[in-house]
Amino acid sequence: MKSDSLLQAVQEAFLRLSAGDGELWTIVWISLKVSLSALAIATPLAVALGFWVASNYFRGRTLVIVLLQGLLSFPTVVVGLVLYLLFSRSGPLGAWHLLFTQAAMIIGQAIIAFPVLAAFTLAAVQGADPRLRETAASLGAGPWRSAFTSLFEVRFAVVAGVLNGFGRVISEVGCAMMVGGNIAGYTRNIPTAIALETSKGDFAQGIALGAVLMVFALGVTALLALVQREAKPR
Amino acid sequence: MRPLVEIEHAVKRYGDKALLDVGPVTLHAGDLIVLTGDNGSGKTTLLKMIAGLERGARMRLRFEGVEASESDYPRELGRRIVYVHQHPYLFNTSIADNIRYGLRLRRVEAAERERRVREAMAWAGMEDLAAVAPRGLSGGEKQRVALARARVLDPRVLLVDEPTANLDAQSRSQVIGLLRKTATGDNCVVVACHDRELIELEGARRWHLAGGRIETR
Repeated sequence: MKSDSLLQAVQEAFLRLSAGDGELWTIVWISLKVSLSALAIATPLAVALGFWVASNYFRGRTLVIVLLQGLLSFPTVVVGLVLYLLFSRSGPLGAWHLLFTQAAMIIGQAIIAFPVLAAFTLAAVQGADPRLRETAASLGAGPWRSAFTSLFEVRFAVVAGVLNGFGRVISEVGCAMMVGGNIAGYTRNIPTAIALETSKGDFAQGIALGAVLMVFALGVTALLALVQREAKPR
Repeated sequence: MRPLVEIEHAVKRYGDKALLDVGPVTLHAGDLIVLTGDNGSGKTTLLKMIAGLERGARMRLRFEGVEASESDYPRELGRRIVYVHQHPYLFNTSIADNIRYGLRLRRVEAAERERRVREAMAWAGMEDLAAVAPRGLSGGEKQRVALARARVLDPRVLLVDEPTANLDAQSRSQVIGLLRKTATGDNCVVVACHDRELIELEGARRWHLAGGRIETR
């Protein structure tokens, strides 16, 4: 690609962004809707699991921790492959007709975000001051209230986990492509659209969507910095 | 006088070695006990066992008719026996919220709760710091907040672990002043310490832990 046509593509990209290009903003909306829904589903379950594993000693605990940490770097395309096999017409869950739907993308992204959220919560609770629970208990808190107080005390680390999870799912392409099918106006999100438009030679659309993704990434980084500043030890 | 807490026995082992083998001992309303002993003699462990925060190999204690053992520590006891750490942990909210915490758990009505929080802040000499986050407080100030947070609950038994350790002279005298005010005559206060001034506190009885056993002095 020549440099003048690259410049043209960048200009066109920012024109489309500022003009409120319907197709472009639909893609952004689908991305946000799918990723935030996935986080809403994964967060309570992952935080509960992370907290439980951090707070209890049981046979196989180390294995669970190693598994969670291993899943952090699990290729998203493999998650997509497994879900594809499950949801495809001849698969065990084929009757649910989930393949190439937003629901399938949400399930995939929830699975991808889960280990990030659980591992952050686990590390935060494990690293919490042991006096925290004793203090809560000594002031009269029962086990549930103590657990809630502990989670509240490590809230900034949990929020950092949610932001990291968001960063991972909003930009993943493998799973979304496989189980979403990249259907325009329905399952086409930012990463799958960038891959498609670039392969078609529509660089302007790819650059515009890339710019939106960069804004999300910078926004998440800024929020993380704020959260980490708040989380400084007493 | 009827005892407040009767410790029939409190035994804690590390492997084959018995760290604590205490009992029988009793605590009465109005008692101010100074618990002394070398480092590692088990002072903290004993206080935590009485507060139900640490389990021993064997324990049996009675508090106003309610019995606790090594496997069962009734929650109502935990609400009336409060333990304060040597280096208190303050929740990452405001100082007032820290003091409010136990009152909220006990579902104290809002107006009454706020009155008691204000009173506790004044008691600890921290009236102007209600909205301040604890992260910037000195060791002595944290200790005062922790004592106010415990005292506001009006515990029958208050167990305070080395409250003056590592404090400068001014903070130390402020904390000792608060401890003097804490022993009301209706409650029982046990203070683990090495501090000469606390050991010689007027009206205090002394328990000395050595070889896992308590010698009363």
